[in-house]
Amino acid sequence: MFARVSQIAGVLAVAGALASPAAAKDKLVINSYGGAYEQIHRKLVIEPFMKKYDADVQVITAYSADALAQLRAQKAAPQFDVIHFSGGQEVVAAREGLISPIKIEELSNGKDLYPFATEGLSRGEGPVHAVAAIGLLYNKDKAPKKPAKWADLWDPAYKDHVVLTDLSNSYGLLGFLMMNKIKGGSIQNPDPGFEAVKGLLGSAVVVSTSPEMQQNFAQNDAWIAPYAQDYAYTLRKAGLPIEFVQGAEGTPAVYLTANLVANRPSQELAKKFIDFSLSSEVQAGWANELRYSPTNKATKLDDTVAKEVVYGEQAVSGLMRFDPVAVDAARASLVERWKKLIAR
Amino acid sequence: MRDRVEDLALAGPGILLLALAFVLPIAEMLGLSILGTHRELTLEHFIRFLSDPYYLGIVWRTIYLSLLITAICAAIGFPLAYVMARIRPALRLWLIVLIILPLMTSVVVRTFGWMVLLGRGGLIPFTLWKLGFVGRNFTLMHTEAAIVIGMVQVLLPFTTLSILGVVMKIDRRLEEASRTMGAGFFATLRIVILPLAMPGILAGSLLAFTLSVSSFVTPSLLGGVRLPVVAASIYDAATKTLEWNFAAAQSVILLVGVLLALTPYIKLSGRRHG
Repeated sequence: MFARVSQIAGVLAVAGALASPAAAKDKLVINSYGGAYEQIHRKLVIEPFMKKYDADVQVITAYSADALAQLRAQKAAPQFDVIHFSGGQEVVAAREGLISPIKIEELSNGKDLYPFATEGLSRGEGPVHAVAAIGLLYNKDKAPKKPAKWADLWDPAYKDHVVLTDLSNSYGLLGFLMMNKIKGGSIQNPDPGFEAVKGLLGSAVVVSTSPEMQQNFAQNDAWIAPYAQDYAYTLRKAGLPIEFVQGAEGTPAVYLTANLVANRPSQELAKKFIDFSLSSEVQAGWANELRYSPTNKATKLDDTVAKEVVYGEQAVSGLMRFDPVAVDAARASLVERWKKLIAR
Repeated sequence: MRDRVEDLALAGPGILLLALAFVLPIAEMLGLSILGTHRELTLEHFIRFLSDPYYLGIVWRTIYLSLLITAICAAIGFPLAYVMARIRPALRLWLIVLIILPLMTSVVVRTFGWMVLLGRGGLIPFTLWKLGFVGRNFTLMHTEAAIVIGMVQVLLPFTTLSILGVVMKIDRRLEEASRTMGAGFFATLRIVILPLAMPGILAGSLLAFTLSVSSFVTPSLLGGVRLPVVAASIYDAATKTLEWNFAAAQSVILLVGVLLALTPYIKLSGRRHG
């Protein structure tokens, strides 16, 4: 009954779209992550794309998990054309048929991408258009010393000044998996990680969003936090003395993907949009503006910028990736266990 | 016959809106809450919630915080409403405007205001620190006290205005009679005004309580992830772990809880009016 109603609603929505004035430009609906990211996204990708292809792009702000929830809810009548994920949600979306596969030949920039960026295409996922490395953010003015490795989070020198991020946040989940890994755990065995975090909780703040992270560095006297390289730059631009350190034990990363939503009329244009996001110019822009690492080998960067991102064949080969399929399978139980652990 | 057609025509749009925007989604939510992973009927989501001390802890926090918030709102709202009812109409208008004014700003904006005031280095902790009441610069954020402070500010207008409506209708001669019979100001307030204002206090408190148990924005922002309430737990299940059926089951439990809280009031007011 309700499926029927939503089908009818979907048909009506499509009919409405078709009935709108013929003069209207082609239109894409995409998601972006809000804040500074979305501003730069508009400047680097969305606006130049609209100009180049004479199309309209409507942006809806939705973080990855919210975006996936919306895609699911709209399965009968999807409202997005291109959906961006940062937490490996493309694995789920592809498996559930919410996004369409893209062939590498369909992307003019496909041949210039590092292999890791196109690896997911065979599973029906979108390409990786940027990488955010995860390491340790620290306040270089206030912290008593510069951290060097993940294990330093437990150094008593930083007591009462550690910020942890909720596992519902993509960066938080990866940071936790890394802490778990250095304590001897694995995705299937998170006990060491939870045990180790438990020891930190008494003197740490737990946040769930990036703005909360900024607030803690700005107002709440935070010194050290596992978080992303790009966000360290965002905080520096906001005038905070924050530096990024790659933990000696390894650098996990967030792989930002652009995905083609299934069952939408304007897939051709949507593919052009995804391709556009992969160009070396756009990727150099991301590195310059926000310190996201490029996935396109042809990207040219200044020395200062190159030092603040993961750049070049050799550096790229050092990135680690927790298996997104395994992470996804464990996500719900990890999040629930985390919630129970941190609740007071 | 014509009357019925006219009645239906008048009530139609409202009923249609209710059916589409309320009854239908609630029905779907009820359906979701009893479906398992393979679309079979099951009570597993309810069992999971009601048998886990973690979730029961969330329920308990939600209830006692809501009761506390409601009690504070009533304790502040009643004297305020009484004063408002007894002053000059022009002044009363200004006070009403003053009370309603905060409702004109989004609850998110108001909550952000509290975040600035309650955070480390914010006005309240900073003043306490500088005056020497506390030993170091601290934060009131992510505490239950922060949730209570923020929620009281959000809900006070509702309670005050409900009480005001009732106190306005109390015959002033009753008060005068009580005073001439020798009762003092506070005795009059306690023996005459308070009982007569009870329906307003009850209605306002119920409003505050139901809004408070289902509130989401203020507790999440001021309490943070370590002090979850039921509404935040529903949000997490729906958007973070994508367990819709579990989220629906939690919503049903919250809905039933609110209905249970409303029942005594509906019974009481039903007896009074008819």
